[in-house]
Amino acid sequence: MKHALLLATAFGCAAMTASADELVFSSWGGTTQDAQAEHWAGPFTEQTGITVLNDGPTDYGKIKAMVEAGSVAWDVADVEFDWALQAGQQGLLEPLDFSVIDRDALDPRFVSDYAVGSFYYSFVLGYNPASFGADTPASLADLFDTERFPGKRTFYKWSAPGVIEAALLADGVPADELYPLDLDRAFAKLDTIKSDIIWWSGGAQSQQLIASGEAPMGLLWNGRLSALQADGLDVGIVWDQNITAADALVVPKGAPDREAAMRFIAAATAAQPQADFAAATGYAPINVDSPALMDPELRATLPDAQSAPQVNADMAYWAEHRDEIGTRWYAWQAQ
Amino acid sequence: MRIFPIGRLRGTGIGFGLPAILLLLAFFVVPVALLLARSVTEPQLGWQNYAALLGSSTYAKVFFNTFFVAGVVTAITVLIAFPVAWALVIMPKGWSAVVFAVILLSMWTNLLARTYAWMVLLQQTGLINRMLMSTGLIDRPLQLTNNLVGVTIGMVYIMLPFMILPLMGVLKKIDPAILQAAALCGATKWQALRRVLLPLATPGIASGALMVFVMSLGYFVTPSLLGGASNMMLAELIAQQVQSLVNWGMGGAAAFVLLVVTLALYAVQLRFFDRGEAR
Repeated sequence: MKHALLLATAFGCAAMTASADELVFSSWGGTTQDAQAEHWAGPFTEQTGITVLNDGPTDYGKIKAMVEAGSVAWDVADVEFDWALQAGQQGLLEPLDFSVIDRDALDPRFVSDYAVGSFYYSFVLGYNPASFGADTPASLADLFDTERFPGKRTFYKWSAPGVIEAALLADGVPADELYPLDLDRAFAKLDTIKSDIIWWSGGAQSQQLIASGEAPMGLLWNGRLSALQADGLDVGIVWDQNITAADALVVPKGAPDREAAMRFIAAATAAQPQADFAAATGYAPINVDSPALMDPELRATLPDAQSAPQVNADMAYWAEHRDEIGTRWYAWQAQ
Repeated sequence: MRIFPIGRLRGTGIGFGLPAILLLLAFFVVPVALLLARSVTEPQLGWQNYAALLGSSTYAKVFFNTFFVAGVVTAITVLIAFPVAWALVIMPKGWSAVVFAVILLSMWTNLLARTYAWMVLLQQTGLINRMLMSTGLIDRPLQLTNNLVGVTIGMVYIMLPFMILPLMGVLKKIDPAILQAAALCGATKWQALRRVLLPLATPGIASGALMVFVMSLGYFVTPSLLGGASNMMLAELIAQQVQSLVNWGMGGAAAFVLLVVTLALYAVQLRFFDRGEAR
C-alpha cells in the first residue's frame, strides 16, 4: 500500500487546507482511494454536508513532520495498522472518540485507542497454474521449494507484517509460536530463494507479475487475486495459513477538524459503506455486520470465510519492533 | 529611462535575480538546512547517521550502485544521443521536425507509464523475449528486468532527450561546411569527427552528461521498478528511511551526501568545461 513516488518533505509544503465544512482525507491513491471516495466519502457528505477532499499518497514521514511543525493538513489518514499502533504510542495521533465511533460493531482484531481498521486483507499464496503441471503449490513451504516449483517468487517489498511470518511458517514454525519473530531464522529461510525473488511495491504490480507468469507464484493480497479471477484470469489461491493484516484509519495529532474526523471514521466504518467498499476492492470489511450485507459469492472470497487455518499477524509486536525489523529488512534486501 | 531604481546593484544583474533568489532561499535553502540539522540531531546529537551511512557495507553498496549506474547510463546516453542529435541537425527540415516531435512526445508521456511499458517489454514473457525466442536466437528467456540491465535500459531511454536537446543546441552552431573543409584538407571521416566535430561539441556533451549524471543519481521510480532490491540506489534508500521507517535523521544524512556530491560535480563542470561566450 505504498506508492512512494516522490520524496516529499512536509516543510514549506502548503498542502490543502480545509475550510469549516471540509475535511481532508489522505490515502494510498489508485483504485483503493477511488473506492473510499465513492463508498465512504460520498454517503458521508450526503449525511453531513461536509465535503471530503482527497489527498495523498499517505506518507509517514510527512505525517510526523506535520505533527511536529504543528500544521497538520490531513484530518484522517489511511495507514498501515502496525504503524498506527506505533504512532499512537509516539504521540503522533489523536485518541479516537468512541462515543462517535461504534466500537462494538468493529472486528476487535483491528481496534485500538488510536486507530480502527480501515479494511483488512490476507497475504495468500497466489500462483499461475499455466506455469505448473498437475503438481500445483499448496502450502507456504512450496513458495520456498524451487526444486519442485521452479521460477521466480514475488513478495511485498516494504517492511510490513507478512513475508517474515510466511518464511517462518514455511520453515516449520507452528503458527502459535511465531512471536517473538525469530528474525535470524526468517532471513536464513529467505536467503535460500533470494536470487529468485522479485519484489512488488504495489498491488497492480503484483497482479501483473502473477498474471504474466513473470513470477509464477508469490505472496499477494487476497483481494488482488480475487480481482484477477473476477476478470476471468486463471490464477490459483492457496488459503492455507493465510496471514491477516490491516490498514487503519487515524487522526493525526492536531488535525484541524477533529470532530468532523471522528464523524468521518464513524461513517467509513459503518456496515453498508464497509460492505460496498469491499465489493469494489476485494479487500475485506472490518465491520462485523458487513458480510451479511454482501453478495454471497463475494462473501465467499473473504479471508474469514475460508475454512483453511488463518494466522493473525501480531500488530502490537510489529508496532513495538517496527524500526528494528525495518532496518534489518532493508539492509538484507540491499545486500 | 530607469524603471527600477536598482542603484548599487546595477550592472550585477542581482536586482533582476532577486525574486528567484528569495524563492530559492525560502523553498530550497532553508528546508535543506533544516534537513541537514535533523541529520545530526536525530535520534540524538552527533554524527552517528553519517558514521552508519559511510561505515556499513550495505550502504557502501548502495552508494556504489548509485554512481555506477549513473556513470553507465551517462556513457550510453552520450553514445546514442550524439549521432541522433547530429542527424537531427543535418536532416532535411521536415524529417527532423517529425523525429524531434517524437522525442518531445516521449518526454511528455508520464514517467511511470513509460517505466511500466519497459517492464512489460523486458519481462521474461514480454515482447522482446518472445521475439527473440520465435526467431530461435535464444531458447530460454533472457533476464532483462529486475536487474541492472533493466535499470540501465529504462534510464537511458528516459534520459536521452535530456542529452539530445543540449547537444543539438551546440551542434546547430557548427557550420557543416567545416567538415567539408576538413575533408578537403585530407581528413578521413573518422579524423573529421574526432578532431573537428567532437572538440567543437565538447561543451554540449559535458553539460548534457553532467545533467544526465546528476539526474540519474537522484532517480527513484525507474530503478525501483526495473531493478531488483540488490541494485538499490540512494534515492530509494532515502525514501525507505523517511517514508517507511520515519527516520528523518538517516534520510537527511543520505540526502545531504547526495547533494554534496552533486554540487561538487557541478563545480568541476564549471571549472573545466564552461567556456561560456560572455567570459
